[in-house]
Amino acid sequence: MSALASTPLPAASKPPVPSGSAVPSAHKLLEAIEISKRFPGVRALDGVNFDVAHGEIHVLFGENGAGKSTLINVIAGTYPPDGGRLVYDGQELRHLSPHQARLIGISPVFQEFSLVPDLTVAQNLSLGREIARLGFLHVAQMRRRAESLLAELGFDLDPRKTVRDLSRAHQQMVEIAKALLSNVRLLILDEPTASLTERETQRLFALIERLRRENVGIIYVSHRMREIKQLADRITVLRDGKLIGSRKAADVTESELLEMMTGRKIEFLFPAIAQKPREKALQTTGLSAGGIVADVDFHAHAGEITGIAGLVGCGKSELIRAIYGLEPLTGGSVQVNSKPCDQISPALSLSRGVCYFPADRVAEGLALERPIRENVSLVALRLPVLSTFGWIRRGAERRLTGQIIERLQLRPPSPERTVAHLSGGNRQKVMLARGLTRDFQVFLFDEPTIGIDVGAKIEVYNFMKALVEAGAAIVLVSSELPEVLHLSNRVYVMHHGRMVAELMGNDITEQNVLARFFQDSSRGAVG
Amino acid sequence: MSITSVDRAALVERLSARLSVVGLIPFLLVLVVIGMALVEPRFYGLPNLFNILRNTSFLAIMACGQMLVMIGGGMDLSVGATAALASVVAAKVMASATEAYGFDPGVAMVLGILSSLGSAAAVGLLNGLCSALLRVPSLIVTLGTLSIVSGITLMMTSGMPVYGLPRGFIADFGRALWWGVPAPAYVAIAVVAVVCLVQRKTVLGTYIYAIGGNPLAAIVSGISATFYVVLTFVLCALLASVTGLLITAQMGSGQTNLGGDRLMLLSIAAAVIGGTSLRGGIGRAEIVGLSALFLSTLTNALNLLRINSKKELVVLGVVVVAAVAIDSLGRGKAAVE
Amino acid sequence: MDQVGGIQSAAADLPTTAERRQALAHIVSLVYRVLVPASPVILALGFGLYVPAVLSLENIINIVQQTAFLFVLTCAQTIVLLTRGLDLSLGPSVSMISVASALTMTAVVGSDGSNGIIAALAGTASGLLIGLLVGLFNGIAVAWLRVNPFVTTLASMNICLGIGTSLSDGHPVFGIPEEFNVAGYRLHVLGIPMSVIYAVAVGIALHLLLQHTIVGRSFYVLGSNPRAAIVAGWPRRRLLALAYVLSALLTAVGALILTARAASGAPNLGGGLSLQTIAAAVIGGVSLTGGRGGLSSALIGSFFITILSNGMNLAEIGGYTQMLVMGAIVIFAVALDRVARVDV
Repeated sequence: MSALASTPLPAASKPPVPSGSAVPSAHKLLEAIEISKRFPGVRALDGVNFDVAHGEIHVLFGENGAGKSTLINVIAGTYPPDGGRLVYDGQELRHLSPHQARLIGISPVFQEFSLVPDLTVAQNLSLGREIARLGFLHVAQMRRRAESLLAELGFDLDPRKTVRDLSRAHQQMVEIAKALLSNVRLLILDEPTASLTERETQRLFALIERLRRENVGIIYVSHRMREIKQLADRITVLRDGKLIGSRKAADVTESELLEMMTGRKIEFLFPAIAQKPREKALQTTGLSAGGIVADVDFHAHAGEITGIAGLVGCGKSELIRAIYGLEPLTGGSVQVNSKPCDQISPALSLSRGVCYFPADRVAEGLALERPIRENVSLVALRLPVLSTFGWIRRGAERRLTGQIIERLQLRPPSPERTVAHLSGGNRQKVMLARGLTRDFQVFLFDEPTIGIDVGAKIEVYNFMKALVEAGAAIVLVSSELPEVLHLSNRVYVMHHGRMVAELMGNDITEQNVLARFFQDSSRGAVG
Repeated sequence: MSITSVDRAALVERLSARLSVVGLIPFLLVLVVIGMALVEPRFYGLPNLFNILRNTSFLAIMACGQMLVMIGGGMDLSVGATAALASVVAAKVMASATEAYGFDPGVAMVLGILSSLGSAAAVGLLNGLCSALLRVPSLIVTLGTLSIVSGITLMMTSGMPVYGLPRGFIADFGRALWWGVPAPAYVAIAVVAVVCLVQRKTVLGTYIYAIGGNPLAAIVSGISATFYVVLTFVLCALLASVTGLLITAQMGSGQTNLGGDRLMLLSIAAAVIGGTSLRGGIGRAEIVGLSALFLSTLTNALNLLRINSKKELVVLGVVVVAAVAIDSLGRGKAAVE
Repeated sequence: MDQVGGIQSAAADLPTTAERRQALAHIVSLVYRVLVPASPVILALGFGLYVPAVLSLENIINIVQQTAFLFVLTCAQTIVLLTRGLDLSLGPSVSMISVASALTMTAVVGSDGSNGIIAALAGTASGLLIGLLVGLFNGIAVAWLRVNPFVTTLASMNICLGIGTSLSDGHPVFGIPEEFNVAGYRLHVLGIPMSVIYAVAVGIALHLLLQHTIVGRSFYVLGSNPRAAIVAGWPRRRLLALAYVLSALLTAVGALILTARAASGAPNLGGGLSLQTIAAAVIGGVSLTGGRGGLSSALIGSFFITILSNGMNLAEIGGYTQMLVMGAIVIFAVALDRVARVDV
């Protein structure tokens, strides 16, 4: 990659190890030894050992919340580990800063991009390594350098465009190009295919293969089986911050991996749920909303779990958010309990018995500085049981919250504790506790098990079981396919904002669902 | 959010985006000029136009400084106080240099200007360090330094103007016409041009956009966010002191209260109306200069219409809120903290 | 462990290591929690060593009275701070209300002093009404027009300044009916000055509002996480605007009491009150990022600032120096607040 090799390192910052990619080395490229890291309320990493060889694609596998994100951040210098050490090409790394990491060839591509939105692609690619004389930029030269880099990578991007105006997929390309600009020796990719089309994904894989041949080590973080099978040389599985095992890709089967990831045989993860579908509790006709959902017909029955599956960005979250009142409707209608809804808003939905659990509980669900009690009662304060004419009945609030916390086995069961100090799993329980403060008939779960450990997940599934067996209607939107497959009685599949399939009974298999992920609605068959 | 009210909100958003204030400025400017031509003939007199030009110069320079801080993600409420400090320091130094030490007026002026710039730089340094290192929001820091600097200025002068400026400073510079145009205009044009150049063509300019647009991206690329944040505050204070010096040269004495809060508010208004985003990362010197022209024309018009300076504050307040409202409505959910 | 990407959450840790920062934050936090309530007393004792007059009974009564005024206004500022906002217009608003209500009263009262009570009531009503208007302006701009609260109140600060100094051309307004002054300030009930009684009333009302009503609870939620309030179906905009309106009404009450004390409509009454109330609130423990603080914060902070001001006066520290000190205190208090909160 000529464009890359010719980019000079800034003279002022000397990397702690000599750079130069093709030197054969007796050492492993990277060794992470006994890495531990704590955050308030969680032990994110516990004595993890991990290593990458030159020219190896090493997959980090595990669920959300397993510790993958924390580990790669430690390696990339975002924060130091509380315990353990990093050895890079035989030399120990001390006090690694993010900038230093990049200087020595560690290039991460995170899910949160490090791009300046109001600068152009060329400016972003050159950030920190501008071509300048006496402080004045050689704008044309920088643009040409960007153009040649992008051409070499096969990315179809105009370097003069402002990053803010690009789609997320294109922004990711810029981020990847930026990562490859430095003398990359260790590339870290964190769930890179989350918002890419099939074609873009294959192009990315081709790029990865090319890098491998140039002896670049690659850490690929994912929890998707298909990608792993296609790419990995070795697979390391993390769970709850601990290393479960490292295997050569050829030596391990899918079910073994799943078992390592979840810690139990797949059959024991999901409870058996007696689903007895009754009347229609929720229905949409020709619904269009949120800029992506288009003409969706959908319904959910009481006493049943209806799952919605699809790629990230297919619009499944937007669909239930629109039903609840958080996304603007541009067409169609919604009926709750067979009554058409003229107006939709969160307050109205709540009064109709519809409860929504947001995917991002920190951004949209919880008030972190407030105690558990206030967070739980948030949706029910205006009910007569908790208040009269705006006056809160504190005693009743405390009793109610106390009972619910007990029932959900929140640990520790103290309602005055600040939510900020709780682990991910307990925070989710606080969110779910809301569902028990009122008489809800419909529950909309949006990615309910992101960022929580296996034990908490099982409790969430049991919670859903209890609700459904008591007669509620549950809509489950999730990017975790096993979840949707095992819990739902009926499964919808969405693609590009349209409903492309409705599967029931024995038709609900991984194969059937995955096949529909890329299907256009014109070919879609219902049933 | 009912169906109808959500659609209404989306419509407002689209309208506002199109109505983006920056695009409105030339239109509004022409409106004011034509309106005034019909109502008040004095508006077109050469003395009045020069007045507008001078005020535009003062404002444009200060607004450029404010813009730099805003691009970096902050705000500087102490600019007015800093300008006053600069004024007083310059006057005192120049006066004592000529009277007490018998220096040549030219030397006295240079000494005065240098010490003035130096004191401003100190204020900027204080603002920048507290903001970047102590992590105190710049709004609070500069609210504090506003008080501190005002206190210092008052202590130095007990509230009285400072006389004794060298004649040359006033006659040949502050109140002078160079080739038929008020001298401050040249300074303003030079400042705006330099800032514009820096923004478009230098590493410094790019880095200031970067630390405001995505501070983490900047840090990760090895750019010291602390250094550049401090730099924006120092530059802002320096530019505020340049304005202070120009006003001093025009008024003929060091002033403890250079229009008080008015200049500070105007600088923020000019920057925001000139397209600078309160969230950082966006701002262009040439448009800020244009908006300074618009605001000075507006305030001049209000003045001629005999709306006194106190009522003018009211109008300014409303204008600022309207400008920011249109800007943030056009941006969608952006501005709510 | 809600980590996405990871860079964002690490921002607070660069460049020192996380452990060192956390340990420091813990220590500061502990010190903070103990020191804050005790600080006014410590400050008073400190000044007392230097100037014994500070601790005299007469002065203590003085301090309590002074604190009463500041307390009412700090409560107003606290309400807005809780919602993650700020009210820079508080000071000029006080001045404007003072002059306006005084003008109303002098217009209604007869030249011989008759209609005193009606005049007093008219003055009170006009003061509250103007406060309401300011609150509506701020509230609508922040909640519906989505203008940054800092910019909004910066603008309304200048609007109030403009109106306030124009109303009486900058001159104080004399001739306020005695009934008003007595009811607002001079009256003593059971030996307790009215100012203190009003302060206690406001304090109780605020406490009940914040701890026992939905409206009060909403201020905390809006400050802590406005998105969560929306998702939970709360009418965010109405509640946010209400915060500014209530705050402005309290400001009006404070302005009226201060007017009674000055026995005139004073265009400079507000002075540095915006800064003082922010400083008092923050010192007392109200968080600038919203969602934290309450009655006790306002009380502790008000005492602290009052004792500071009183002490400096008795120690004959010049007015300009006091400005300096106040400015420095604000920066220091917020910096301390930031460090102490790192662990959450």
